Amino acid sequence: MRYFLVFLSLLILLISPFFGQIDISFANIFDTTKMDYQIFWDIRLPRTILAFFVGAILALSGLVFQTIFRNPMSSPFTLGVASGATLFTAIAIVLGLSSFVSFFAFLGSLATIVILFIIASRFHSSETSSLLLVGIALSFFYSASLMVLFFISNLQESYEIVRFTMGSLDIVGFKDTYLVILAGIFILFMVKYYQNSIKLLLVSYQFAHLKGCNVKQTNYILLISVSIAVGICVSITGPIGFVGLIVPHIIKTITQKSAHTLILPIFFYGGIFLVLCDLIARNLGTTSDIPIGVVTSFLGAPFFIYLIIKRKK
Amino acid sequence: MLKINNYDSLILRNISFELQNKNLIILGSNGAGKTTLAKVLCGIIPSLNVFIEEKNPSGIYGDERAKLINYIPPKLEVYDDFMSVEEFLEINKLYSYKSIDEVLRLVNCEYIKNKKCKNLSSGESQLLLLSSAILHNAKYTIFDEPTSNLDPQKIKNSFHILQDEDILQNKIIITHNLNLAYKLGFDILFIKDGRIAFNDSSEQFFSDANLQLFFSDSVKKHDDNIVVNL
Repeated sequence: MRYFLVFLSLLILLISPFFGQIDISFANIFDTTKMDYQIFWDIRLPRTILAFFVGAILALSGLVFQTIFRNPMSSPFTLGVASGATLFTAIAIVLGLSSFVSFFAFLGSLATIVILFIIASRFHSSETSSLLLVGIALSFFYSASLMVLFFISNLQESYEIVRFTMGSLDIVGFKDTYLVILAGIFILFMVKYYQNSIKLLLVSYQFAHLKGCNVKQTNYILLISVSIAVGICVSITGPIGFVGLIVPHIIKTITQKSAHTLILPIFFYGGIFLVLCDLIARNLGTTSDIPIGVVTSFLGAPFFIYLIIKRKK
Repeated sequence: MLKINNYDSLILRNISFELQNKNLIILGSNGAGKTTLAKVLCGIIPSLNVFIEEKNPSGIYGDERAKLINYIPPKLEVYDDFMSVEEFLEINKLYSYKSIDEVLRLVNCEYIKNKKCKNLSSGESQLLLLSSAILHNAKYTIFDEPTSNLDPQKIKNSFHILQDEDILQNKIIITHNLNLAYKLGFDILFIKDGRIAFNDSSEQFFSDANLQLFFSDSVKKHDDNIVVNL
C-alpha cells in the first residue's frame, strides 16, 4: 500500500507537465526548435515544481500550527495568517509597489502571527478555541480592509487584486519557483531541526518544559519560520486554502502514527496533493484554468469529511 | 538541596522550606495550593524564590533543568491522537539505566506497551505516568496524587515502588491517601489556605492530637492504618 502510494505520487509528478490545454509529446521536449520545448521548460515544469513546493509548505505549516496552537482546526488560513499576507500584498499593489509584494506578504503574515501570539499569551493554554476565534475575527477584519482597498483603488489595481485573491499557479520561467523551493527547503530544515521539541510539544507544553525544552523560544522560531515560508508562497500564488488544514489530518488518519514521525510524508504528500489539484484544474476543458483553490476544496472537502466519519466509527 | 524562600502569590502565602536528601509528603485539603506549590518548585510557574542545587529552575533549560526536577501531573495529557505508550516512554527515558520493558514490568503493566496513549484507562495512564517518572529519574520528582485512580492492588504495588529508595530518590508526593502517607513514613508538609500549617516528622503528624486538629473526626486510626471515618 505504502509503496503503491509513493509510486502513484511519482507518476503524478512525472505526467503532470505533459497535460494541459496543449498536449506535449515526450519526444519533442528536448528539441529546441519546437513549441513543445518552450511550453515544457518555461511553463509546465516550473508550474509543477511550484505547485509541489507550495503544497508541501502549506501542509507542513498546517502541522506546525496544529502542534503549537494545540488545536486541530488551526492552519495558516484558519488563523488569518494567509489573509494577512493577502491584505498586505493588496496594499503593495495599491501603493504601486508591485516589485515588493513578497516583502509585503511576509510582513502581513508576520504581523498576524505577532498579534496572535500577544493575544495567546494572555490566555491559559487550555483556551485554544478562543485563539481560533480571534483568528477568525482577524480574517474578517482583513477581508473588510481588503474591501476598503477595492473602493480606493482604480480598475486596473482592483482587477490585479481580484486575480491575486483567487489564487493561481500561473507563472512563467523559474524565477519565482527558485524562491519557493528555497522557502520549502528552509521550512523542512527548520521543522526537522526542531523535531525533538515538536515530539515533546505533541504531549503538552508542561511536559515539554519538564523535559528541558525552551517552549517559548521554540514556538517563536517555528512560527516565524512558518510565516516567512507562507508569506513567500502567498506573495507568488495568492491564497490557496484548505491544503494546510486537511493534508496533515489525512496523513495522520491514514497512517495512524504520531505526528512527529510524519514530517516528511506530510511535506511530500502535501506537494503531491497540490500538483494533482493543479493537474485537474488545467484539464477540465474550460477555456481558462479554474482557480486552484476551487479544486483543492472540491477534492479535499468530501474526502476529509469521509475520513472524519470513518474515524468516528 | 531543594529550597524555597518566602514565596508569596495569590494562592500561596509565605512558603519556605528546605529539603536535603529526603522524601516529603505534601498534604492539604482540595484547593489548598498543593499543585500550585508543585508547579512553582519545578519552574512551570516561574519564580525567583526557588533553588535546586543552587540553580533557579525557571531560569535554566535543557539537560541542566531536566536532570534536576520532574513533575508528574495527576492526569496524563497527550495532545497527539496516535502517540503510542512506547513512543511516550522513549521521550521520557533520560537519566535511568532501566529499560522500558523493565519499568513496565515493575509497575505490572507490560500489556499497555503497544497501545495508544489516548486509549488507556485512567488507572493505566496513572501507571504510565509512574513509569515515565522512573525512566526520567530526575534528582527530585514531584508526584501529584499518584494513586488517585488506582485499584487497591495497584495502590499497593505503587506504594512499594514509591517506598523503594533504589528506584527513585528525593520524592515529593502530594496525596489525599492518608494511609499511603502514614505507611510511607516520610516527613509531612501540611498546607492550609495557602500557608504551611505543619512541617515535621510523620510520627508527630499522625499523633492522635494532630489528626484531630487537622482532620477533626473524619479520619481515625484502626489497626495501625489510617481510615476514613464514615
